[in-house]
Amino acid sequence: MNRIMIETVQHSNYLEVKLLISEANLDIAEQFKSEMLQLLNRGNNYIIVNFQNVIYVDSSFLGALVSVLKHAMGKKGDLAVAELNKDIGNLFNLIRMNKVFKVYNSIPDVFA
Amino acid sequence: MLENRKKILLVDDDRMVLQLFSHALTNEGFQCFPADSVKEAILILANEIPDIILSDYLMPDQDGFDFRKYVLLDKRLKNIPFVFLTSYTDRKLMQQGLDMQAVDYIDKITPVPLVISKLNNILHTISKEHEKSIYEIRAAAEALNLRSVPAEPPRLDGYFLNFLYKSFEDYPGGDFIDFITIDDKYTFIILGDVMGKKWGAWFFSFNFLSYIRSAIRLCVFDENFSTSSILHKINKVILMDPVLSDVLSTLTLLMLEHETGELHYSGAGDLPLVLFSANENELVAVQSAGLLLGVMQDGLYDEKTVTLNKGDQLLVVSDGMIEFSRKDGGKKSDYDLFFSQMKSYLGHENSFNLIKDVTFSAERSKELIDDCSLIFLQKN
Repeated sequence: MNRIMIETVQHSNYLEVKLLISEANLDIAEQFKSEMLQLLNRGNNYIIVNFQNVIYVDSSFLGALVSVLKHAMGKKGDLAVAELNKDIGNLFNLIRMNKVFKVYNSIPDVFA
Repeated sequence: MLENRKKILLVDDDRMVLQLFSHALTNEGFQCFPADSVKEAILILANEIPDIILSDYLMPDQDGFDFRKYVLLDKRLKNIPFVFLTSYTDRKLMQQGLDMQAVDYIDKITPVPLVISKLNNILHTISKEHEKSIYEIRAAAEALNLRSVPAEPPRLDGYFLNFLYKSFEDYPGGDFIDFITIDDKYTFIILGDVMGKKWGAWFFSFNFLSYIRSAIRLCVFDENFSTSSILHKINKVILMDPVLSDVLSTLTLLMLEHETGELHYSGAGDLPLVLFSANENELVAVQSAGLLLGVMQDGLYDEKTVTLNKGDQLLVVSDGMIEFSRKDGGKKSDYDLFFSQMKSYLGHENSFNLIKDVTFSAERSKELIDDCSLIFLQKN
């Protein structure tokens, strides 16, 4: 049994995955990826990951996130991120993750 | 120095025992996390990974064996040394505990100093075993000539080129560095970071390096020295490789023309270069547009050209260099902070050593949370 790391909320045309951890790092990257792949396999092709609770992201977690995006794209779906804090937002811009993912300031009504 | 203290999770429903051991172990330099039930212990484990667990066997609701089973099922926790602490001396139960890969059994009537010695011995033995395993794997990698970082930088006439590399907790990691000099006229400078840490990332760094080296050589054969075109080719091959399809890497690729000082730069999800201009006496960040390798067919790889003049200095860094501790003990990535720190160190004759002494000091190394790499280039 693993610790509970995500919480899901169904929206009109996408699934919101809220991260319940403050440090998104190597320790949880693998579990995150496998839980996300399960969600994708259950037909949730459009997912927005909510980073509201997250203070720090390391490269292992970013790797897991991109890997999930690639799976989503393989299913003709998409993965976006929302509510990045200032540091994480800066990092996304700095390494061009903002061109890889759609970045929402807040959880949108629809995935567009 | 709370961070260097060994963390111990103590689980016992008897608060007296819990208090006694917490007090004694804290005095001995342990950082204690006391829990008076398995439920509370599980809550603690959601946020803390202890170095060792000391747990009572007989407890109401869930007992020590239930707890051990829980720990064994969690990949993050199953390798933490687990010691049963109990007043129960039934041999059958002791055997059952040891069968569940508990490393030892300590009777509660054992004097506290002896318990502490025992715990220290267990931690010491495990750390020695660990060092030995790492040493053996390293020796094997060296025997196979598997290196993700060169032994020495090349010597270039008219330039000073050097690098710094420190791996996370001394494990080989995902950062890789290479220099390829062609006909004493051109030098390709490579810094990459395979996402992930420790062995997994280290292993894949060789695959990436092999592709990068081949792509550079093949392009040079065709007299194609364009860094963006090389990056496009590397990205295409990586996207086709089923083994690497789930692995991602950053890459900074520079091509220096020795004679002119012209530097061509293309990057893939890398951090901006830090360029010190001696004429202007200022620092600028040079950012590329390219995406991480292995994400999309069109990686948007552009090519920037800067000309190095006498006294100009350039830094290429991996993301470990911009990670800092927050006031609350957590971590943060802060490129701006790194950039402003570099203002004090660049522009001096001994800039490389200044950076080395500060950012790669023994003190700073303890705070490292990732591989750290830095390449330094100066035109003399």
